[in-house]
Amino acid sequence: MTSIQMPQLGETIIEGTILKWLKTEGETVERDEALFEISTDKVDTEVPSPVAGTVTKILVEEGATVPVGTALMEIEEAGAGAAAPSAASGGAASSGASGAAPTPEPSPQPAAGAASSAPSSAAPPAAQTPPPARVPTAPASAAVAASVPDRGPRSQILSPLVRKLAKEHDLDLAQIVGSGTGGRITKADVLAVIATGGTARPMPAAVGAPAAAPALAQPMPAPTAGAGEEVVPVSHIRRAIAEHMLASTQTSARAWTLVEVNVDHLVKLRERVKDAFAERYGVKLTYLPMVVRATVDALLEFPDVNARLDGDSIVRHRYVNMGIAVSYDAGLIVPVVKGADGMNTIGVARAIADLAARARSHQLQPDEVQGATFTITNPGPYGSVASVPIINQPNAGIVSFDAIVKRPVVVDDAIAIRSMVNLSMSWDHRIIDGELATRFLARVKQNLETWDFAEDLGV
Amino acid sequence: MAAPAWLLEPGTVPFDVANAGMHRLAERRLAGEIPDTLILLEHPPVFTAGRRAKPEELLWTTSEVEARGGLVRSIDRGGSFTFHGPGQLVGYPIIGLGSKPDAVAYLRGLEDAVIRTCADLGVIAGRLEDVQTGVWVGDDKICAIGVRLMRTRVTLHGFALNCETDLSWFGGIVACGLPDHGQTSISEQLGRRITVDDARPIAARNLADVFGLDLVPAPDDIASIFRVDDVA
Repeated sequence: MTSIQMPQLGETIIEGTILKWLKTEGETVERDEALFEISTDKVDTEVPSPVAGTVTKILVEEGATVPVGTALMEIEEAGAGAAAPSAASGGAASSGASGAAPTPEPSPQPAAGAASSAPSSAAPPAAQTPPPARVPTAPASAAVAASVPDRGPRSQILSPLVRKLAKEHDLDLAQIVGSGTGGRITKADVLAVIATGGTARPMPAAVGAPAAAPALAQPMPAPTAGAGEEVVPVSHIRRAIAEHMLASTQTSARAWTLVEVNVDHLVKLRERVKDAFAERYGVKLTYLPMVVRATVDALLEFPDVNARLDGDSIVRHRYVNMGIAVSYDAGLIVPVVKGADGMNTIGVARAIADLAARARSHQLQPDEVQGATFTITNPGPYGSVASVPIINQPNAGIVSFDAIVKRPVVVDDAIAIRSMVNLSMSWDHRIIDGELATRFLARVKQNLETWDFAEDLGV
Repeated sequence: MAAPAWLLEPGTVPFDVANAGMHRLAERRLAGEIPDTLILLEHPPVFTAGRRAKPEELLWTTSEVEARGGLVRSIDRGGSFTFHGPGQLVGYPIIGLGSKPDAVAYLRGLEDAVIRTCADLGVIAGRLEDVQTGVWVGDDKICAIGVRLMRTRVTLHGFALNCETDLSWFGGIVACGLPDHGQTSISEQLGRRITVDDARPIAARNLADVFGLDLVPAPDDIASIFRVDDVA
């Protein structure tokens, strides 16, 4: 007699539901014939018989949900009681399957004119090799590793949503009893704790659009050109830039902070992977996307820098729309990488390449230059080693990434040559103070100096 | 070590044709007549109801769906309702899981391959393990995953990755039975158009990496299963 059990189809599957009995008591079954269908929280399947014989007993009702390993059915093997080898005894030809342990599927056979349903002779020779059973073989990629934190024991498996909720409400997850499968803490558990007195940090009140910036004086009549002079009318773009910049200096209380960043490993990394990157992703690899990624992380860590002043309120943004200053023939424009906090370095590189190309061919849409929550300017390619940019209103700050230059620096009390860059920020003293500005920049510096961007670049 | 496997890229295929075709291939894979096979295609608009779907989770009537040019089908995978349509890369891997099938490892593998594909296109996606199988960006689903095993050993159905899917179709269902979660697409995340043609080769490469497949084009008689040019 063979007992058929609820099969274990994966380590974390702990129970299954009988959807349908395909055989009734007294019916005969062939080996590998489907006996019943089950549904688990991950996958549905029909379960085949490991032996040929007769169903003698059905132990569980249709629709019942039972733990893995529960006996569901009994089968009297064909010829049992006689001398025929049972499957469980390990007859050479009949595989060693017992219980509901699935039978291995036969390997593909060479066509060789045997089975009529074999692949046609047009099948490539490669297909004739029996492929082994497939389980994921490759190690987790960098991007995967970055997005999937280590999992602890079962009750410690938490979804990003649960983590986020707990963090937002300052909840100690160790104090929450999980009601999910295997004692996991679910969203509902966290919401229940919040509803019964979990504390929530007050969010600043959202308010309307900022007051209009003071406009530049109205256009004057054009002066006449003197000797050795040329009179050029102010273009629409030039006027807009002028108004924007003047309004910013008149509105904000600008202060400036600079840190030095050792980017030696980034220079080496870029040299090593830039060709492969360009070939694989179709865009040139520059340092800017790495700076954007490092800055986005710091903005999420210091939300007061990712904010705007609005009347009596400071509005913190929980997302990052990164403005990127781009120079083009008509002047300066700041296209915005929307949702930069949801992109890896590849995504940022692609977005910047796309926006910069369309900026330079005058094809940006109006909404693509609006809504920045922070801005980065990159005068480095032109040779500047330190810049004091004007804040892109209504942002709280703007980071300038200047030229990377080899400089003698002190490393372990010895003078060494390293690729260094000055990373500075103009910031609005109405919104943040020097300590926060410096801690923010220190975080960007730390990110650039310690992150292994090779993982994020997928090359 | 990569093993030879077949790749089928038949373009846009009506759901019923693809569904019947994948079951035929799974039967043959089970019998050991063919190697592992990866089908990557697109469907015309169709809502499919898995075994756990509740009728009230279809928010439009069948005639409303049909008026919009879609179909409704009940199928043999687990899970609830989902939608397939233009702009969505659908993958049906027909893979033998061997004598100790681990459905969870297989699902993790599918998720890995999709997460890598999103990463290669620039989107950071991940799992919401407490909630459901699938791939998510924040609380929004970018890729539905639903799988069935044929006699516990060969995989059926698969994943549906939104590249530039018209997400308004998801208004017709409580997708995956989860009313509190939204849907998104790669194009929506990037603010830029990413087509199924852009994503398909990247997905094929990542699936091949994760499952150790050496993909070669499937022979003609297999490819013809998904051809619909003889429709009257």
